[in-house]
Amino acid sequence: MATPIEAVGLSKVYMSRFGTRRITALGGIDLRVEQGQVFGLLGPNGAGKTTTVKILLGLTRPTSGSASLLGLPASNPESRRRVGYLPEGHRFPGYLTARQTLTIFGRMSGMDSALVRRRAPELLERVRLSEWADVRVKKFSKGMTQRLGLAAAMIHDPEVLLLDEPTDGVDPVGRREIRDLLQEEARRGKTVLLNSHLLSEIERTCDRVAVLRGGRVAAAGRIEELTASGSRYKLVATGVDDVLLAAFRETGASVQRVNGHFDLSARDLDHVNALVDRLRAAGGKLQELTPLRTSLEDVFVDLVRESGGGAHGAPPNPQSGGGAHGAPPSPQSGGGAHGAPPSPPGPTSERPS
Amino acid sequence: MRAFVASVQEVFREAAARWTLIAYFALSTLFILLFAAAVNLDIVNGALAGMKLFGQTVDLPDRQIRIDELVLGFESTFSGVLYFVGLFLALFATAHLVPRLQEKGTIDLYLSRPIGRVSLLLSRYTGGLLLAAANVAYMIGAIWLIVAWKTRVFHPRFLLSGIVILFTIATLMAFAFLVGVITSSTAVSLMGTYAVFFLAAILALHTQISAAVSTEIVARLVEGFYWVLPKTAELGKATVALVAGDEAPARLTIVNPVAIYGSTALFGVASLGLASWLFSRKDF
Repeated sequence: MATPIEAVGLSKVYMSRFGTRRITALGGIDLRVEQGQVFGLLGPNGAGKTTTVKILLGLTRPTSGSASLLGLPASNPESRRRVGYLPEGHRFPGYLTARQTLTIFGRMSGMDSALVRRRAPELLERVRLSEWADVRVKKFSKGMTQRLGLAAAMIHDPEVLLLDEPTDGVDPVGRREIRDLLQEEARRGKTVLLNSHLLSEIERTCDRVAVLRGGRVAAAGRIEELTASGSRYKLVATGVDDVLLAAFRETGASVQRVNGHFDLSARDLDHVNALVDRLRAAGGKLQELTPLRTSLEDVFVDLVRESGGGAHGAPPNPQSGGGAHGAPPSPQSGGGAHGAPPSPPGPTSERPS
Repeated sequence: MRAFVASVQEVFREAAARWTLIAYFALSTLFILLFAAAVNLDIVNGALAGMKLFGQTVDLPDRQIRIDELVLGFESTFSGVLYFVGLFLALFATAHLVPRLQEKGTIDLYLSRPIGRVSLLLSRYTGGLLLAAANVAYMIGAIWLIVAWKTRVFHPRFLLSGIVILFTIATLMAFAFLVGVITSSTAVSLMGTYAVFFLAAILALHTQISAAVSTEIVARLVEGFYWVLPKTAELGKATVALVAGDEAPARLTIVNPVAIYGSTALFGVASLGLASWLFSRKDF
């Protein structure tokens, strides 16, 4: 089967109105999302997330590089036949009812009327809008409009979903439902590309992410890989005294007492096991040993801060085009990121995995 | 094809929902009712014995007026009025079609579907033209029926006037689409199209204007503009002449119909072609 979403060396340079300034929205990114993945695209404002999605959908033409959906070039309208899109800040005609909206956009996706009539009620049920099926969209709250947008994106049962801020304005229960719905779609083999500012949503929903910064992929990979904190552990044990701590340190480990537990850094797994053996030999009892992880938010903030938080107008550098591949990480690629390996997270607040 | 048809239907649905369709047909109905109420004819033995316009008695000439002659004159004059009314109403009702489509948050919804950009634009154009055609048919058909009902004279040539009116609407709507694609503004589309309409009407006097200007360059410019722009004044005359048939006065005769219709059609095709090209290259 063709790769659901693929971009190679994608760049986009906007010119100012009188052609006096070049603004680089994308500086040559590679992106590959495999079937059944829920892939998150992260980045600060202006990082190039929406431009990437728009190029994939043929709404914007790339300056260089190529993009394809399900093996067809993004410029070919046929590539969108099996793709559903929920744009950010979409505006459905207010005079349409929810049912009419699904009918029109279903037919615009090439569905016949009978199929749309069958599928629309099912989808409205899935997004909890059944009771509002015949109410005009202009009466809808933002969250309801968002849920309708999701239904419109899914009306033709697409194989690929591109969603720009799908939970924007949706209440916590609704968010949870959308999350469940997307995961259900992924289980059915659908591919989802999620573009969101809500890092906690991404963390809970996505298998893999790519962080864009200044039009480049700053980091990419599985969330566990990005948030892994090296050989750092939370240690809870009895019988740990200063003598034992000094003995730990003599082996090269770093250990600190933090809020009733120990923050332990070791060289590797063997080193950790050796320390545990030593603890037991000294009569101590292990209660908990947990690898520490940073949150996705910490990773994100670190990455953005590295570049001074700016994301606009970064000049393209053909030598260092970043890439994010949804394929399983290879040892060479540092967890699926090509050209721009994930930056190590800084000393930020940790949470147990 | 389904997407194209759905988009055409959407034009009608939008027109109905936004009151455009209702206002469009309500104004046309008002025009028709005014006409029906204003004209009161007294016909005796196939000749006009008396006539009232807006309740006022019209002084008839001494010679007897044949009723079919009256209907012909009446309908041919009225086709000229309909040319302007139909054109203006049609442009008002359709000028928003492109600017509204290009609004942020709307265009993404349409272009993310498997429909080509040119097809999408042409579906809007087709929808707008069908809307205008329905209205022109309604106005012409209703007035034709009223005249036939009041005079018992059926003069089918009057119905032909709709063809020239629709041809002119198609041309100017193409230009309105072009302005709409470039500016995304309904107001500018309307102003630009009306400007072309009036400028082209003034340029119908291009021979006199060219003779009156002081330099050769300006004269050539006037001639150039005349041939580039649609021939709105000539087409107005052509509408009347088409209805009058052999009875049309000499002043309504178009000297070179192929050039008039041809250059106008070329303007429309070029406008729509350019609009399609720009729309297909635009970044949203």
